[in-house]
Amino acid sequence: MRVDVTSHGGAILLVAAIAAIGASLTSCMSTPAAGSPDEGLALFEDYCAPCHGANAAGQENIGAPSIASLPAWYITAEVHKFRDGARGAHFDDIEGLRMRPMAAALQTDGQIAAVAGYIAALPAARPAPTLKGDAEKGKVSFGVCSACHQADGTGSEALGAPPLTKQQDWYLARQIHKFKDGVRGANPLDKTGATMAPMARTLADEDAINNVIAHIQTLGK
Amino acid sequence: MNLFQPALSTFASDVDNLVMMITAIVGFWYLATNVMFFWLLWRYRAQEGVKALYVTGHEPELLRWITYPHYLIIFMDLFVIVGAIKVWYNVKQNLPEPQEVVRVVGQQWAWSFQHPGADGILDTADDIKTVDGLHVPVNKVVHAKLESRDVLHNFSIPVFRLKQDIVPGRVITAWFEATQAGVYDLQCAEMCGIGHGLMAGRIYVESDEDHLAWITANTPK
Ligand code: HEC
Ligand code: HEC
Ligand SMILES: [Cu+2]
Repeated sequence: MRVDVTSHGGAILLVAAIAAIGASLTSCMSTPAAGSPDEGLALFEDYCAPCHGANAAGQENIGAPSIASLPAWYITAEVHKFRDGARGAHFDDIEGLRMRPMAAALQTDGQIAAVAGYIAALPAARPAPTLKGDAEKGKVSFGVCSACHQADGTGSEALGAPPLTKQQDWYLARQIHKFKDGVRGANPLDKTGATMAPMARTLADEDAINNVIAHIQTLGK
Repeated sequence: MNLFQPALSTFASDVDNLVMMITAIVGFWYLATNVMFFWLLWRYRAQEGVKALYVTGHEPELLRWITYPHYLIIFMDLFVIVGAIKVWYNVKQNLPEPQEVVRVVGQQWAWSFQHPGADGILDTADDIKTVDGLHVPVNKVVHAKLESRDVLHNFSIPVFRLKQDIVPGRVITAWFEATQAGVYDLQCAEMCGIGHGLMAGRIYVESDEDHLAWITANTPK
């Protein structure tokens, strides 16, 4: 076949084809406009789902907790902390250092609010327990915790204390260790973390931590 | 405006000179072959009444045009090989005695650093651990013990012309001697996952007094 470069029909067809490919590429690559109802979903799928999972139920091998149905105020606060280096910027905070650049991928407060709203509306994951502890004994030590996290573990926005009934037990245990070791909640920028850190030190050892988590697992069921 | 990054380590200009030499040699041959090619195309284009010549590729008077430049290129390769081996030996194989040893830990997706502190010895109580920022003295041979917490990374400091892969499970020693105080970028130069593009940090090259002041201010109590 001979290609006739002087044919107008051919040239117009070529230009039209390129324009069509371009248009379809931009339409599937662009995120929905800021403030549109799909913005949170689109941002979540691009930036959060790779680690926290499509339903935000978490992935243990990455250390990413379930965040589905956490309140929007808490997600917003934590994402800001990761972005500002108040959380996840410690030499020994391996998982926090992994999460931190992901928070930086969200560029505006509007984007953070959109993602937080989307995640907060997802159904809770209700993860199965992996640790063994004595819930009865844990109930006693949880007395201290209930001052902020409430007796039913639902948390308190006024005190900045998140609900503890949504995340996996391995995640809760890891955070308590981080608070105890000064890996989380020790940064001068982390005001609410600073109120939690001394509370973690009321749990003397591994057993005490497992027991209190066993009790937390009985809440919200 | 400076087109290139300044060269601020003892071996940076050696690397630059090698790259310039290769660019000059390859550039010369690139231009020479292209000029020849297009000139031949034009000079021996289809002409009324002239029959095309059949060339087998074995005619000695034509073959010369390939073999002579070929020998010349091989001769010039010697310069590249000698230059490259010299630079490789100086940067990668010869390890000058260290005046300071730091630990560099790469992980998905952050740089953490362990400085030897006032006693100049790593893994002692006065070590200073940081995230994102590496502090070194100017005009001192620094050894960087490179470690990874997960996958392959690459420790790259453009102004030093230093680039070294980090392999999980191994401790690789890189060295440099900075020639000018200042704050410069460092980055990961090995694709390491979703946050690779955000895996950046800074190197603070400090005068002896400033370095000492930084150590004093940051030694853990
Ligand atoms: C690269 C994997 C990864 C990606 C992508 C990621 N995260 Fe995370 N995220 C983590 C890890 C790991 C943790 C646990 C940090 C820790 O142990 O301190 C975490 C923790 C969190 C927390 C704290 C939860 C709590 O209970 O305190 C929030 C909130 C969060 N991520 C939100 C997000 C949002 C929103 C996005 C999308 C913009 C996102 N994450 C993307 C890995 C990731
Ligand atoms: C003085 C109030 C207070 C008390 C008492 C308290 N906490 Fe907290 N806790 C907080 C705050 C505030 C945070 C959120 C910190 C932040 O914003 O990073 C938190 C966070 C946590 C987290 C991390 C949750 C997450 O999603 O990352 C765990 C786990 C936790 N607390 C467990 C406990 C346990 C167990 C006790 C009892 C021993 C306890 N807390 C007592 C205030 C408190
Ligand atoms: Cu990397």
